[in-house]
Amino acid sequence: TLLGALLALDGTAFGQFMVSRPLVAGTLAGWALGDAALGLLLGGILELYFIPVFPVGGGEFPEGAPPAVVAVATAWALPGPGGVALGVFLGFVWSRLGSASIVGLRRLNGSLAPDPAQGPVSPGRVAGAQLAGLGLDLLRGGVLTLLGLLVGGWLAGHLVGVWPLTWGLTLGLLVLGASVPAGALVVALGGWKRRGGLFGLGLAMAVLGSLLL
Amino acid sequence: MTTPTACAQVSVFLRSFLIQGSWNYRTMLGGGFAFAILPILKEIYRGDPPGLQAAIQRHADHFNCHPYLADLALGAVCRMEAEGRHPEEIRRFKLAVKGPLGSLGDALVWVGWRPAVVLASLALALAGASPGVTVAFFLVLYNLGHLLLRVWGFRLGWEGGSQVGDALRSLALPRQAGRIAGAGMFLLGAVVGLVLARDITPGPWAVLAWCLAAVGLGLGRQVGQRGWRWNLWAVMGVIGLVFLHGWVE
Repeated sequence: TLLGALLALDGTAFGQFMVSRPLVAGTLAGWALGDAALGLLLGGILELYFIPVFPVGGGEFPEGAPPAVVAVATAWALPGPGGVALGVFLGFVWSRLGSASIVGLRRLNGSLAPDPAQGPVSPGRVAGAQLAGLGLDLLRGGVLTLLGLLVGGWLAGHLVGVWPLTWGLTLGLLVLGASVPAGALVVALGGWKRRGGLFGLGLAMAVLGSLLL
Repeated sequence: MTTPTACAQVSVFLRSFLIQGSWNYRTMLGGGFAFAILPILKEIYRGDPPGLQAAIQRHADHFNCHPYLADLALGAVCRMEAEGRHPEEIRRFKLAVKGPLGSLGDALVWVGWRPAVVLASLALALAGASPGVTVAFFLVLYNLGHLLLRVWGFRLGWEGGSQVGDALRSLALPRQAGRIAGAGMFLLGAVVGLVLARDITPGPWAVLAWCLAAVGLGLGRQVGQRGWRWNLWAVMGVIGLVFLHGWVE
């Protein structure tokens, strides 16, 4: 819970050093649970889905850190491909809940932040609103992560042996879904006509390298 | 001109890391901007509480730009405040730079640098790097660019003051953003290639996987960035159905 809360702060309120990205948050959560490779796998999968969404202006974007922590903890509690599928599922649900809670927090910040049009603004009021915003974001991240861990633990306990697919099919399904955001990222990076050659070059080099090695 | 102490300048720079702490839909970065610039304003308006109050009032108003490039605006506004520029001139300056600094930061960092470093890290992981190496590579490389951009922006803003726009134009940063996006495109191709070539055994399944991946890429190209929500719902729906199938079986 503390890890989710601290990493959530990095998402918007403090620093944006990107420790809140699923790739980092997932691996750190895996480390804390003693399985960093599982954390990297879950974090990497979530990253592939979230990568083409940018926090531009006041636009909505998927929250990264608490969902990654919840996803990894769930997958750890339910070993096997079913745990990974359930972790990704909950990671997506919690990313949407995280987005909604960020919108709510920003509205709340609006009522706490001093309004220069309404009257005098003191230095203390400015600093108070800033610290309140940071504290509320920390609390938001903690509550979100705690709820996710409780739901994930409960579901993992009730879905043992239910997932019918193999590791290969499970990862194939998840990677296939990630090809859609990859296509969206192609558009954001300049499109096929402008930079498709570079995409092809990277693809060819990776395939050749894999075959040769 | 009132020359602020180095301590006040460092304090403003460090506070810029909290600039989005009270982000809201009314003043956006306004409160954070006023919070960050406070140490320098306290020095400039020492012994003049009404002057300090008026300055805070002005800076707490609406402002928005990319959080990393806000350092550039902060540096320039600190300089203008130290030079005793007219409040209306400072207000107009902030109004003029917020749009360009927002779009430039979005192109340079959110669309360029961040996806490129994420993709490079994923390629590294797919090539067999350990989780620790992958995460360390991502954090060090990303934050090298991040921190350099913040430090460079603050210094450029402080040195350029109200003329910082001219210095910014001469650097042709949109061209650099294009180059980073090109590197990102190459890395995206590499990640797709590594996933498909590394984990899928050659044969009919491989052909099917490549075809489905191509369909997915084409679909993503059609829906663009706005399709991220329904894609999450679609994958959640499939996972839910598979669990339901397993439950019934």
